[in-house]
Amino acid sequence: MRPIIILTIVGILSATLLAVVEDLTREPIAVAKEQMKRKAIQQIFPFTFDSLNTVATEQTTFYEAYNQDNALEGIAVETSTEEGYSGLIEILLGVSPDQKILGYKVLFHRETPGLGDKIDKPKFKEQFKGRTLENTNWKVKKDGGDIDELTAATISSEAVANAVVKGLEFIKEQYPKSSAE
Amino acid sequence: MNEALNIFTRGFVRENPVTKMLLGLCPVLAVTTTAINGLGMGLATTFVLLGSNVVIALASKAIPNTVRIPSFILVIATFVTIVDLLIQAFSPELNQSLGIFIPLIVVNCMILGRAEAFASRNGLWYSIIDAIGMGLGFTFALLLLSILREVLGSGTIFNIPLVGEDANTILVFALPPGAFAGLGLIIAGLNSLEKKMGDKK
Repeated sequence: MRPIIILTIVGILSATLLAVVEDLTREPIAVAKEQMKRKAIQQIFPFTFDSLNTVATEQTTFYEAYNQDNALEGIAVETSTEEGYSGLIEILLGVSPDQKILGYKVLFHRETPGLGDKIDKPKFKEQFKGRTLENTNWKVKKDGGDIDELTAATISSEAVANAVVKGLEFIKEQYPKSSAE
Repeated sequence: MNEALNIFTRGFVRENPVTKMLLGLCPVLAVTTTAINGLGMGLATTFVLLGSNVVIALASKAIPNTVRIPSFILVIATFVTIVDLLIQAFSPELNQSLGIFIPLIVVNCMILGRAEAFASRNGLWYSIIDAIGMGLGFTFALLLLSILREVLGSGTIFNIPLVGEDANTILVFALPPGAFAGLGLIIAGLNSLEKKMGDKK
């Protein structure tokens, strides 16, 4: 009998302690997650935004960034592809209200360190700025397109381009008017 | 006091969990791609070890032999979950890079090993010294390996670039095989160093 009682007591004490710690850290964890998200979004925009409006749709979540005068300055959308060299690549794509790319940030990838992981380096990212669905041939240069692929990481480069196109198409659906010029 | 120093240095040098006993190698090999990861993992493990050694040193007399191991595991798992929650709350960046390896501290056999071999048989004071010695020894080994791998594999140290972005680094050190090779080099280096110092005496 004694072992059972002791083990039960140990279990109850552990559970109680964990409940207390979980309760104390719930707020800070939520705040930390929110801040990480804000920080990630801030990194892809060249301007400092004032407020953020989160919109969840069936396909993905996107964020509208407003300035102090409540004018829309940028839209950030989470987009992904399974076509990476090692599967899933998730990126956060930022576009201006007229749907030109402002920048992106890789949220998740498993690409080869030193080769494919350069998709998150400024040198590769720079070329996406200002591109739109219409003004760009979204193939890599090797296949006659406009995207300058990374050496020895064509698949990773193509995957990022695909994810970006997906993000742009999604935003076009959400804001059909603003690109109609 | 001499005994305390003896216990401390045993964990740090003579019975270093990584370089001598080769315990807890899963996190050692997996997370040591950058120095910050290595340091974070080492300190998180040290905290868990300290917590579990303290509790087990105090409670071991009350715990019957038959439920000893499950009780130890429960205590360890509790501390690991606390560390996990604290890191999520106060260091989200570290949480992002260490990810699944924090919960996996539970199965780091070094911690259960210290609980079983030391804390359950010794008093509180020595158990604390043992935890600090072993924990810092673990952290030290992780830090050595992760600095080696980060410098050679990525050309940075604590995320500060040492070479230009386009420089060719020894990629294999950033990949899993480099972890094994790097650990082997470190163990060999420390052993020969120890031998030389022993010869002088």
